[in-house]
Amino acid sequence: MKKTMLILDIILLTKRSLIGSIRNPFVYIPNFIMSLFFLFVYTAGVGAVTNLPTLEGVNYIAFILPVSVVSAAIGAATGAVETLVKDLESGYFARLLLTPTSRLAIVLGSIITGMIQLVLQSTLLIMIAMLMGVRIYSGIGGFMLILLLVTGLGLAFTGYAATVALVTKSSQAVQMSTMIFFPMLFLSTTFVPLDLIETSWLRIAAIINPTTYIFEGMRALLIRGWMPSHILYGFLVGFIGSVITITIATMNARRAFDGE
Amino acid sequence: MSNKIIKVSQLSKTYKGGVEAVKNISFNVKEGEFFAFLGPNGAGKSTTIKMLTTLTRPTSGEVEIAGYDLLRQPDKIRLKIGVALQNTAIDPTLTGRELIRLQGRLFGFSKAESNNRANELVELVGLTEDADRACGKYSGGMQRRLDLAITLVHRPKVLFLDEPTVGLDPASRIDLWEEIKKLNREYGTTIFLTTQYLEEADQVADRVGIIKNGEIVALENPQSLKNSLALDKIQMSFSSMEEKEKAKLAVIKIAPNLESVETMIKVYVQKSQKVLPEIIRILAEAYVFPEDISISSPTLDDVFLQVIRNKNN
Repeated sequence: MKKTMLILDIILLTKRSLIGSIRNPFVYIPNFIMSLFFLFVYTAGVGAVTNLPTLEGVNYIAFILPVSVVSAAIGAATGAVETLVKDLESGYFARLLLTPTSRLAIVLGSIITGMIQLVLQSTLLIMIAMLMGVRIYSGIGGFMLILLLVTGLGLAFTGYAATVALVTKSSQAVQMSTMIFFPMLFLSTTFVPLDLIETSWLRIAAIINPTTYIFEGMRALLIRGWMPSHILYGFLVGFIGSVITITIATMNARRAFDGE
Repeated sequence: MSNKIIKVSQLSKTYKGGVEAVKNISFNVKEGEFFAFLGPNGAGKSTTIKMLTTLTRPTSGEVEIAGYDLLRQPDKIRLKIGVALQNTAIDPTLTGRELIRLQGRLFGFSKAESNNRANELVELVGLTEDADRACGKYSGGMQRRLDLAITLVHRPKVLFLDEPTVGLDPASRIDLWEEIKKLNREYGTTIFLTTQYLEEADQVADRVGIIKNGEIVALENPQSLKNSLALDKIQMSFSSMEEKEKAKLAVIKIAPNLESVETMIKVYVQKSQKVLPEIIRILAEAYVFPEDISISSPTLDDVFLQVIRNKNN
């Protein structure tokens, strides 16, 4: 018997989750349609704000595209965690814990699958937006960075929802925990830039909301080109959030059955 | 002694909130032994299995499995044990063959070794024809057999089976028992089993441990346990519940060690040949007449009930 290796285990468990996703496409297709819906509906409904001073001359589809992409990211992250919950409920998670596989590999298998879905869905959304006239000012490099930014948010959100799953082992609790997406989305610069938010509490909420920095990073790359500080803050938020939440999730994977 | 493959000493588990699920239990299981661990629901069976299989950390105590310490060498222990928990632990989207192969790979087998092992195991558990179908569509019995096959991938020395036949139809139960017995007899695999079907444990187990309220209250081979009860069982059935209740009130005066199930009464007595005429007399005085009377030696079910009802018996 060969010594098991972390990378190989991660690849094996990611492949297993991917096969599950491919065989069950109804898990992620509705999420993609919802993200597309955000793109069309918000553009049609709120697109007139581009007449406001700060947004003058901006293609509103480009402005709202990050919201649609973030929505896809949250959906993919939730899907990844639901795989984890199903494994917990079916007992397959315990079966994996009883192998010599690293706990990190068990958690990462579903997370990476979620991130692959996220990247594919985000790419498709951006391509659809480009067909609708959006131009990425920072070019192909910027496009890659947008995918990295949204992956950072997706990872952080997955780590958070995975922790809820591992602590509660309840799909209902996971679904409830993803509701945090709504304040994250609406207490941010979702529809208008920070400068145009006049209500002070909403402005403060947007400043302390990590999603704002992901939006700002993506918008800089889409609309204005290379703006290092905006992009850096976006990456920092995604990186720090991911490290914290995935570490906590992995720690909880180790003691998933201690409280039972 | 070197042939003790499981050594448990003063093992305890207290959950958050102070619930003591397992209280200072100690026992050993010999290599190649078929050990049945019995107890009512909530007695601490599953908690014990979860601790022995590295899924739950003990609060205190020492455990050694296949020569490895549970707390310091859980990874080594995982290589030596196979575990089938109460729920069939499968991913329903994968095929049976894919699941076995994946398990092999996670235990460090090469691709070729995993493929060969998958072929061997699907044949062993009689799933060759269905091995390439999504296992979510298998029947309950087939899923249980697949679960066992996955458990056996790395050729474990000790097999932990937590109520493996729950929910199976009689034919599937018989098939599964045949597989388990074969593993024990032909391959020398040590079996640590929990089950609610005591007649099955009676037939296959070398030794039985009974746990009640987190404490071990009996630890013997099935025959010694039955002998230790040193009682005969008089079983009587009545035409109605009303008749049975009348009989119960009468019989309890001379034979208080009594159980009633539906329209039946079981009385445990020493020297049944002396007590039976007395019982018939007292029933006649009460104008109650049993439809059927039989005397037999106690079964493991009887021992279990006696031990569970009165720890001191």
